[in-house]
Amino acid sequence: MAKDYLLEKLKELLFEEQDAKTKELLKRVDKVEQGLNVRQELESKIAPILEDNTHYLQQNFNILFGKTVTKTMKRQIEESKDEVVEALYPIIGRMIKKYVIKEFELLSERVDRQMEQVFSWDNWIIRVKSWFGGPSLAHVMASRFVEPALEEIFVIEQLSGLLLGSYSKESAFDQDMMAGMMTAIKSFAQDALSKETQQLEIVEYETYKLIIKDFSSFYVVAAVSGPLNPHFKNKLDDTILAFVNRIINTPTMKQGLVSLDKQVIVGNLETYFSQINDSEQ
Amino acid sequence: MNSKKVILLGKYGVGKTSLIRQFMHKEFSDAYLTTIGVKIEKKIVTTNEGPLAMIIWDIAGESSHRKIPPSYKLGSQGIIYVFDLSRLSTYEALDRELSDLKTLLPNVPISLVGNKKDLLNEKDLDTIAAKLPLVDVTFISARTGENVEKLFHDLALAMVR
Ligand SMILES: Nc1nc2c(ncn2[C@@H]2O[C@H](COP(=O)(O)OP(=O)(O)OP(=O)(O)O)[C@@H](O)[C@H]2O)c(=O)[nH]1
Ligand SMILES: [Mg+2]
Repeated sequence: MAKDYLLEKLKELLFEEQDAKTKELLKRVDKVEQGLNVRQELESKIAPILEDNTHYLQQNFNILFGKTVTKTMKRQIEESKDEVVEALYPIIGRMIKKYVIKEFELLSERVDRQMEQVFSWDNWIIRVKSWFGGPSLAHVMASRFVEPALEEIFVIEQLSGLLLGSYSKESAFDQDMMAGMMTAIKSFAQDALSKETQQLEIVEYETYKLIIKDFSSFYVVAAVSGPLNPHFKNKLDDTILAFVNRIINTPTMKQGLVSLDKQVIVGNLETYFSQINDSEQ
Repeated sequence: MNSKKVILLGKYGVGKTSLIRQFMHKEFSDAYLTTIGVKIEKKIVTTNEGPLAMIIWDIAGESSHRKIPPSYKLGSQGIIYVFDLSRLSTYEALDRELSDLKTLLPNVPISLVGNKKDLLNEKDLDTIAAKLPLVDVTFISARTGENVEKLFHDLALAMVR
């Protein structure tokens, strides 16, 4: 009996302290757990450490990551030329972009110069692409203009392809050369389609459309961006016809037999086409 | 400004593109990149009638398996016909080529040029000259630039006359 009692007492003495310690420990675990779970509490604890680190990184970024970043950028540029051009575009503008694309075009021309392809539609499509700045630009345009918009209008002499006049919001390429290229496309199409006596009326590229209107000694090309709807198409057709009517009925022109007066053409282009993009009058 | 369409014709590889490059940029390359379809260049030259924009159509040379769309030639106001002095096949049918051109484009000034002069010596040149039809021929080199400036300048004058 006494032995049992003693043993019990001994147990109590031994474990009492242990028990208190355990309880204390559990309490602390609870507290830590709470600190971890409650965001604010955690934040207040680690924020100063993070801040220190951030500061250190800011101060030493160049030394720590400079090389890697440069290397990554170089690779990025190599791998995604289009995107890079795209990113540069708003900064350095259309001219530079055109130049860059021209260089890429030259590069790819070097790659696929297959003799049998020399006079094919595919080549023209590539050309048209490059004039308007490649697919990425077309995308930009598409998102920028949900409405169709007249970008440029040209009056070009048949056969010679010489530019008689043009009007544009802003021009990214040489108008004389553009007129020559359009004429080459048209001639090419005419030769290809001659059997069916068809005419090339439209050259489409993604959201860009070059609308061609033939007249006896000259033709008119309208470069339109955005989705072409019947309303806009009608307005454009009417305006072109009114414009042509005006220029062939000036005293200097006798039914297209006398060479067209460039001054008259340029002046009237402005008058007729400067308002066309203003919505619904 | 006044502008005129000028076409460059001649068999493939005779140096049409090189000739324009020399004229435009004073550059030359040994690499041969055949022209795809047609490439249009523009150069402003001064004449006694004031500045003239030459809109130059560098047309891919014909070969047995590729034909130039005939309308590329129409409407031109000046022609440069190029042959390669080092390749007989590029000038043996000159008579016919030139008369066809004159039929298609009457009254349009034609400059006939033998290119790659740098590859031949005086004696060879004399032999070749003796075989050519009786028209004005200018021997030029797109490589060295010899007579290149003069060629375009003379054509410009002939066009504004
Ligand atoms: N030595 C020498 N080589 C020349 C000269 N002109 C052109 N070449 C070379 O001839 C080759 C053909 O030149 P191009 O200018 O591409 O010929 P092209 O007439 O435009 O040819 P196509 O476009 O295929 O009709 C190239 O390798 C040129 O480097 C020259 O004056 N001298
Ligand atoms: Mg060429």
